[in-house]
Amino acid sequence: MDGPDLTFSALVAARLLLAYAPLPEALKHDHQLSSPLTSYSRLREGIYLFEHGIDPYSGGSFRHSPLLLSLFSTVLPLTPYTSPLLWTAADAVAAWALVRIWRLRTGAKTTSRDGQVAAMYLLNPYIFLPSLALSSSSIESALALLALMFACRGRASASLLTLACLWHLSLPSLLLLAPILLLLITRPVSRLALPQPLGADLKRTLPLLAEFSAYSMLLTFASTLVCGNWDWVEKTWGASLTLPDLTPNPGLWWYFFTEMFDHFRPFFLMVFSVHLLIYIVPICVKFQHDFLYAAFVLIGVLALFKPYPTLSDPGLFISMFSLFPEIYPYLRHPIVTALIHLHASLLLPLFNSLWLRQGTGNANFFYASTLVFGVGNGAALLDAIWAGLRIAIGKVEDGYEVVQE
Amino acid sequence: MLRAIPAIRRRLRGGGDPNAARIRRRQALANKAWQGLPYIRIVLFTVGYLWLLAIPSSQFGQRTYIDENALQPGQVHTYWSWNDVHRADRVLEDLERLRDQNATSNEIANYAVGEFEKIGIPARIQHYSFDTVDGVLEGTNAYAVMQSPRASGAEAIVISASWLSRTGEGDGTLNLRGVATVISLAQYLKKYSLWAKDLVFVISDGYLDGMQAWITTYHGAAQPNLHAEPLTLSSGVIWTAINVDYPGHSFSHLGIFFEGLNGRLPNQDLLNSVSLIARHTGGVPVLVHDHVDPRDTPNTPSILPAWLPEALKSNADVQEYAVRARNIVRHMNYQARGAASGVHGLLHRFRIDAITVFAVPATGPHGFHSLGKILESSLRTMNNLLERLHASFFFFLLVGPGTFMKIGSYLPSVILVGTAMLFSGLGEWVNAGWTLASPPPLGGDEKTEKASAHTSWVQRPRPVLQAVSIMAATHLLGVLLFYALNSGLVPSTVIFLLFAILPVLALQLVSSPAPPSAPLATVLKAFNLCFASAVISITSVLNFSLAAALAVFMGLPLTVASSSPSQPKRVVKYALYSVLALGWLVLCPEETRKAIWNWEVLEVWFAPFICIVYTPLVLQAALACSLP
Repeated sequence: MDGPDLTFSALVAARLLLAYAPLPEALKHDHQLSSPLTSYSRLREGIYLFEHGIDPYSGGSFRHSPLLLSLFSTVLPLTPYTSPLLWTAADAVAAWALVRIWRLRTGAKTTSRDGQVAAMYLLNPYIFLPSLALSSSSIESALALLALMFACRGRASASLLTLACLWHLSLPSLLLLAPILLLLITRPVSRLALPQPLGADLKRTLPLLAEFSAYSMLLTFASTLVCGNWDWVEKTWGASLTLPDLTPNPGLWWYFFTEMFDHFRPFFLMVFSVHLLIYIVPICVKFQHDFLYAAFVLIGVLALFKPYPTLSDPGLFISMFSLFPEIYPYLRHPIVTALIHLHASLLLPLFNSLWLRQGTGNANFFYASTLVFGVGNGAALLDAIWAGLRIAIGKVEDGYEVVQE
Repeated sequence: MLRAIPAIRRRLRGGGDPNAARIRRRQALANKAWQGLPYIRIVLFTVGYLWLLAIPSSQFGQRTYIDENALQPGQVHTYWSWNDVHRADRVLEDLERLRDQNATSNEIANYAVGEFEKIGIPARIQHYSFDTVDGVLEGTNAYAVMQSPRASGAEAIVISASWLSRTGEGDGTLNLRGVATVISLAQYLKKYSLWAKDLVFVISDGYLDGMQAWITTYHGAAQPNLHAEPLTLSSGVIWTAINVDYPGHSFSHLGIFFEGLNGRLPNQDLLNSVSLIARHTGGVPVLVHDHVDPRDTPNTPSILPAWLPEALKSNADVQEYAVRARNIVRHMNYQARGAASGVHGLLHRFRIDAITVFAVPATGPHGFHSLGKILESSLRTMNNLLERLHASFFFFLLVGPGTFMKIGSYLPSVILVGTAMLFSGLGEWVNAGWTLASPPPLGGDEKTEKASAHTSWVQRPRPVLQAVSIMAATHLLGVLLFYALNSGLVPSTVIFLLFAILPVLALQLVSSPAPPSAPLATVLKAFNLCFASAVISITSVLNFSLAAALAVFMGLPLTVASSSPSQPKRVVKYALYSVLALGWLVLCPEETRKAIWNWEVLEVWFAPFICIVYTPLVLQAALACSLP
């Protein structure tokens, strides 16, 4: 066993110890770590209902994908002993995929930064806290990284199947379809410093798109077969579009829709949902020389504007920064962004408990902290976009300054 | 006139290319900010600290008022009469007999249960024991639940008295008259059918431990070191609670204690209502805590120091400042340590707004008669509530019995100090990233001057990862420190030496970055200041007093921490900072023991906070001083 693998195993072992450490039960119900769509207790409830012959989608509490339902009610039963292992395994797979992407990007078999990349994922509190809370967002992050990893390796079928699974788990992940299709027809090496127009033929994505549609349809029919009806579509995908559950989360949607008059709801739901889509084309055009970077930026967009985010989503974005060390010198205000994130990550749990535990605050407190968190995520996203474009200009002479890329 | 507009525009945009003008403007602004940074920092620090000092000034503050309309305090006629006082005296005689017989907790609790059941209120006892570092703490509570005659009993009001008074933080003074008041009040209140909420009477054993056992069991909250019998009588959600503390023979003033565990305060409406009722229904003057105002009572000694000139001592503003300062310091002392100022504070954890009314011992003129009337009327007021207390303030400073400060008038002081630290940290960060480099000399001596004019700032790498690892390691060390203290096995002097020396030894393992990159000390200091500033600003929202204490102990010290070229100086600086970080272990062992007790029994996070946040932050400054 060589150095990097040893570091990786040590990190995973440490995470496993942490997962089995006695942790407060309240962690599983924390609003920042699991949303109504990813909560562990709701998943358990759904499985219980399913195993007792009641349609879990007939109620309002279970909103996980039928894929998770069938997986955890058959081959991988959830118990207090297996669940921490499964979730740590998901994180380990994700970290391994991240390291593989890094190696593929540099083209080296092993590098000295491998351990750092893995640590950036496994020791990121935004990643390991939701994982300790057994939020299924950990599985989504792992699938996203796996899909990207397969795409980097050029394994089209594996990548598209993983992406189809991810899409079933979380509807907004569809944003990643375009960069992954394009990544499949290009190479994942860093071209940020030497941008060039897309050389590959766009028509080559069409069969891949067809393949993706086939997998998605297959999974959809499988899900319907598992459930026996189509109710799951409304309860899982529909939740991302219609926001039926306004349990607070660290995102920007919930408070807005608690304050909304009912007759404006459909319009603003449409605006919020469509708004996510408008980023795809500009980002893919601007980063047509490096689609891995485009995928990274879109993951940042998801972390900021997703309907039911947990801390895993910004965590995935921040961890992915480790894949692009070449942009570090060009980040615009890294210390400011880091400080906003620091303040936000302290304010979020504090204001949540002032509102819901101590009872001395109110919903506006927590909403204010989610806004700070949104500003932090937005600043990180802008930093990433700026640095990714700015690197192409390289070092400028004294007395010169870059106004716009 | 119109001709002036292009001129103004030209002046603003600088003629030529608007982008160039924008860049020039931005650079000029950045230059100004950078040059002004030292002054901005000094101004922020000065204003922040002066603001902290100015909080007790008579210029601040406003009158208290009742915000919740449903409360209607003091609007009822009270029926508590001398007959009831007589009955309270009988109960008191029984209690005094029990005290003289050296009765056990069990006998006292059984007596209370007997008295409650005599009048037809179901009552039970509850045994409990805590395992602490100092040994096992045992006791027996008595409690009674009077079902609401008019409603479903979905809500409840708690009226409690602890066996030990809060005098001297539970120094052993008995609260006999407080207990007698609660028991006789139960007998009296039973006669009325107007209660819309259940009334729960609790006679808790000990000072804080009994109520902690009762209230955690009531809410089914698990506490590993507590073994308490389950409660057999239950009631609804407790919204408000009032704790009676009457240690003396008679009383002159009614003191209001409101600070809860972990710095939580009750809604201001509750204390305002009770003090309004005390003044108008009971005719009893009200105090914040038990501070009698020397201006109202002629024979009390002045609270101003003796060495002040007479002119200042007789100045009304100075006197007012002293009175307010005494209230605020006492309040901050409770709140910063997260300590409860009375039994009521334990209830805050469960979203119960609770206060203690403390009968300040004196030779007169008030007794059971006034106290009974005040409590009856206060309970009627709480009975009126239709929803939880929410209208008035949860964050406030009570500077006098009728005067308070809103959060906006005192919070900025600490935030300003935090901002000053943040700017210092950002300044250090920029310093770490740039170094002055002169190009190689071009040849002759006559050109040296010209060459030095061409020196330019070049960027250098900053050892971010090492600095972050050092910080993470010190916080891990803090966790170890906390466990070491909690185990109670190692003497504190040993812990002090061990934890003061360990960081600097561990530092030898960290490789110093090579010359072109910035010195580790600068980056460590930058991060340390930024993190400390974030901690101070964010704590201030939760617990202002703790944040103010942190601003005093960390604000300037962390900012002036710096490395020095001479080795002995560095050693002295390191030693000074480690005393600031860990000195409390040796200097205030009693306070440390109390903080650990509070953590073990009451789950007050002051001890872990100091060990895991404060000490590591100051140790980081110490390390920044010790690095070359």
